[in-house]
Amino acid sequence: MEKLIIAGRAFDSRLLVGTGKFASPKVMARALSASGCEIVTVALRRVDIDNPTDDTLREIDRDRFLLLPNTSGARSAEEAVRLSRLARAATGINWVKLEVTPDPYYLLPCPIETLKAAEVLVKEGFVVLPYINADPILAKRLQDVGTATVMPLGSPIGSNQGLKTRAALEIIVEQSNVPVVVDAGLGLPSHAAEAMEIGADAVLVNTAIAAASDPVEMALAFKLAVEAGRRAYEAGPRDPLRKAEASSPLTGFLRDE
Amino acid sequence: MKSLKVNGVERQFAPDEMPGTLSALLSVLGVGPATVVAEVDGRIVRREEFDRTQISDGQQIELIKLMGGG
Repeated sequence: MEKLIIAGRAFDSRLLVGTGKFASPKVMARALSASGCEIVTVALRRVDIDNPTDDTLREIDRDRFLLLPNTSGARSAEEAVRLSRLARAATGINWVKLEVTPDPYYLLPCPIETLKAAEVLVKEGFVVLPYINADPILAKRLQDVGTATVMPLGSPIGSNQGLKTRAALEIIVEQSNVPVVVDAGLGLPSHAAEAMEIGADAVLVNTAIAAASDPVEMALAFKLAVEAGRRAYEAGPRDPLRKAEASSPLTGFLRDE
Repeated sequence: MKSLKVNGVERQFAPDEMPGTLSALLSVLGVGPATVVAEVDGRIVRREEFDRTQISDGQQIELIKLMGGG
């Protein structure tokens, strides 16, 4: 399998895993390990002063996993930029998954605020991985601004609906010069495999792993699916045909014609 | 009384109990500084700077940490 290259850095795994919703830090650590992932997303929130020692990320081995802070909760470019700067100060990492989601019901990303924030953050030296709707024109605009990837959604965050945006994703994959990471809505390993088969460079999964009855087993299932999908893509699948095409010659049958 | 607004909540301190630095404030609140980054009146302060960051009456302080997310 080819390596995934993001901003000049090479990764063996094409599965990124989010760290939300796990039942415990220990289960999360085991699931991350089973997933084979090398990049894990994290969020920033106010310290809960009533429970100030809570540290759900204490089990993450920071030598093994690249932390990718997100700007979840931001409703405007300004808030996203502020969160990105805080994330950089907290982690020492200048990578950021840019999310601007003004609508709390579907959590769909705002294209205008996302583009505005990306312009600022790229100028400030951030490696920007923007979460976007599956909009090929926006993906190109962001790439032109200098983002390291584009991260189009398959379906709304946490919805487990799979690749509802497949047709637009195919256009983004066809046109993109930066890695395409399909993010959000992948509910089953088959969804992840489908994204990889159509040429996505990577996928990001959180809820489908974290909320499974057995997150460790599901993490392994996603790992295998991502690898299967990528290998199939690299192997070059044949286009579908409208009619049957026999696997053996249609001659030499045990009958007289 | 002196006051600080911490994570959106007003906190009162007797003048002789007012924390002088961010580190002192974290210790009063029981917040472990290893995972925390701060904003003092909108200016970002890294945790290495908490010891030498003076705080004063009326300031707005945000204490932020990493947590699980997708």
